Amino acid sequence: MSDDVFTQLVDAHYASLYRFALSLARNGADASDLVQQTFFVWATKGSALRDGSKVKSWLFTTLYREFLRGRRRDSRATSIESLPPGEQDIAAEDVDRVARMDAPAVMAALQSVDETFRAPLTLFYLEELSYLEIAEALEIPIGTVMSRLSRGKSQLRAALTTAERGVGDKVVNFTVKGGAA
Amino acid sequence: MSNNEAKFLLNAYRANGADAAEPTFAPALAQAKADPALGAWFAREQAHTSAVAAKLREFAPPVGLRDAILAGGRATASVPRRTARLNLGQWIALAASVAVLFGAAYSLRPRSRELTSAALTAFAMDDVRHGRHGAHGDAEKALQVRLGQSERLSSGLPISYDEMEKSGCRSLTIAGHEVIEICFARNGAEFHCYLARARDFTNADEPDGEARFSTDGPLAAANWVSRGVRYVLVSDAGVNAVKRLL
Repeated sequence: MSDDVFTQLVDAHYASLYRFALSLARNGADASDLVQQTFFVWATKGSALRDGSKVKSWLFTTLYREFLRGRRRDSRATSIESLPPGEQDIAAEDVDRVARMDAPAVMAALQSVDETFRAPLTLFYLEELSYLEIAEALEIPIGTVMSRLSRGKSQLRAALTTAERGVGDKVVNFTVKGGAA
Repeated sequence: MSNNEAKFLLNAYRANGADAAEPTFAPALAQAKADPALGAWFAREQAHTSAVAAKLREFAPPVGLRDAILAGGRATASVPRRTARLNLGQWIALAASVAVLFGAAYSLRPRSRELTSAALTAFAMDDVRHGRHGAHGDAEKALQVRLGQSERLSSGLPISYDEMEKSGCRSLTIAGHEVIEICFARNGAEFHCYLARARDFTNADEPDGEARFSTDGPLAAANWVSRGVRYVLVSDAGVNAVKRLL
């Protein structure tokens, strides 16, 4: 593969993939491993992909599969159907809260969301994939994507509220642009 | 559609406006415009999404991750898949090996003779007709990303011939002449582009200019020269689809 071509592919996607991996793996080292493994799989299996428009979702799909393969599903991931519907309302206070919080606190809140909701939620916030592409990347139906986004946002708002009150129990190390948190 | 149904849909609407043309959201967006309460909820929802997204974008990948990926990816372009993860040293060693192989292949490639543009066009259409095209190298898949984003191809591909030659794309020899081929999709149609050095053709002095179009059954082709490279673009999507790419 041409160095330029591979470099462009990496440059276009590795940061977003890292953020997605960070939300899943909950620590930077595992996130880096996941991103490297994703591009390793691309280098060895990417030739099977014929449609160039699918490269991005292929990379996210591969990263997610690698993540799932690397750990056992926890019990929460299988109990989605028993969860109550997501709370639809959002207050202006919720918006102000996010603005007040620092990035590591927001990421920690996101990481506290159930994994079932966290993957589509992160892809949504990264704004890299549409709901259709998220469905394809995570290999779930479109309606399920919308349901998980709705419920995931509800969980995230609750987690952000808890975090701002200072009762969160997540301690995660991050690298943030401009310095370490 | 009730407001709750509209909210359910709008929860999946990206705040950057990328979904503005998505028909799924049209009824819910219209309802949000007509209903002040729903509109206010949507505005808060979008503001919240933007705020969270901005916080997430503050996270930068660790220093060194990019270089490690690049070193590993180059090395694995033509080696069998391994299930075990490689450390950085192994990545670099593989990269060096592949570089040597690329260099040897380049130095041993056959010398070319003259070729006509009509012959290349005929070959390309026959190649596509019989499904012998594409999918012979990882680089092709990555290049599709660039080609899918390129507005026009009349000035050539967004990568030089020399880079293409070293990329691992499918390489053919026609009458002792090297031709590189790459497939890509745009607007739902598949295209096949064949490249060769213009200096190796009988009409080597042909200046850059308008493309010539031809058809053969369901296939359409464009043939043109740009910056020392002759291109033949073939598709079964019709001549208008080919023209739109130039």
